Amino acid sequence: MDEKDLMARLAAIDGPTVLATIVAAKGSTPRKTGARMLIGPERVIAGTVGGGCGEGEVIAAAQELLEGGKPRVVRVDLTDDFTSWSPAVCGGIMDIFIERADPGVVRDAAAPMGGRADG
Amino acid sequence: MSTHPPRGNLSAARIAARVLEALARGERIHTAVVVEASDQALVGRRRWWSSRRLNGGTLGSRSLDEAVAGKLRSLFPPHQSTAALSRRFAFGEGRWARIYLELHGPPAKLVIVGAGHIAIPLARIGAMLGLRVEVLDDRPEFAAAERFPDAHAVRVIDFCDPFAATRPGPADHVVLVTRGHSFDYECLVRLLRMSSPPGYIGMIGSRRRVRATHEQLRREGFSTDDLLRVRAPVGLDLGGQTPAEIAVAVAAEIILFHSGGTGKPLVEKERVVERFFGEG
Repeated sequence: MDEKDLMARLAAIDGPTVLATIVAAKGSTPRKTGARMLIGPERVIAGTVGGGCGEGEVIAAAQELLEGGKPRVVRVDLTDDFTSWSPAVCGGIMDIFIERADPGVVRDAAAPMGGRADG
Repeated sequence: MSTHPPRGNLSAARIAARVLEALARGERIHTAVVVEASDQALVGRRRWWSSRRLNGGTLGSRSLDEAVAGKLRSLFPPHQSTAALSRRFAFGEGRWARIYLELHGPPAKLVIVGAGHIAIPLARIGAMLGLRVEVLDDRPEFAAAERFPDAHAVRVIDFCDPFAATRPGPADHVVLVTRGHSFDYECLVRLLRMSSPPGYIGMIGSRRRVRATHEQLRREGFSTDDLLRVRAPVGLDLGGQTPAEIAVAVAAEIILFHSGGTGKPLVEKERVVERFFGEG
């Protein structure tokens, strides 16, 4: 699924969904900053942040969020277990932001630059 | 539910819809979200800015919105069409926020002027790199769509005004591989006089041919700085000879232009054997 398809999927979600986004990646990581993944209550809906152990951590954190946790940055460290059989062994660190992606109460009046509606 | 984004905040889904709208209209759009902050209530707050000078949402503080807006130009140079990064912003009285920013824009163009033997592999590789390829030539038998199945557009042009239909901008790439230096010259005069010229301008040629073109440009009043904006001869020094090899060298330079790599073999850059397995 390419970036634009994933964006369309994200724009169209209607149920409880968590968005995980790689907001920073250092070293050798399977996917780069900007990679995204959508996670629902039962399953991964679309996208990937790289697979392997790191992704498992993200999915677990997403479940917490769906049960009432707060949005936060999950740091996935792929540098330690160098001899592991896991496909996650790449030797990098990723910061992944997880948040509820479904539209809540929305106020989005497009205002010209300079003018604004503060929230 | 309490886990929803704060009241009045733009959700990721809403922002995605905005991005798709902007792309459909050919606009650039920047999006921002607070991912960490001194004040937890700001986390998840979003704002967007489009190239039509529209904006919406808020990062939760007016001074933070302004601090981020003021940095967009330097964080995302005009030659970029998509990018993602995060930065920490301080916004007074010990308050800080880590902001994740994205730029979405229409795919950058690769405009190939001269539809000869190098254009064919270059158009293909350009399309593989995700560039929107346009091929221009004044000879209809060369500027023929069936020769360039991967190209977004193939245009028969007049060298009096070669970019009339294409209008390359700062995010775009123009590679001149015409059949004669007078054609290159006509193109360069146009490109260098544009108010917002393409970020990447390359011209193929021997040292002699490049020098002849540059001499003509100097006579026309262009400065040395203008000449330095043209990558000529175009491409990395890979030593290749065939059209496909030359196309790879040009494509490699375009990648280097965006990625900021060294262009060296990684083995020389990393020197793993020398570092870890060398004699003491």
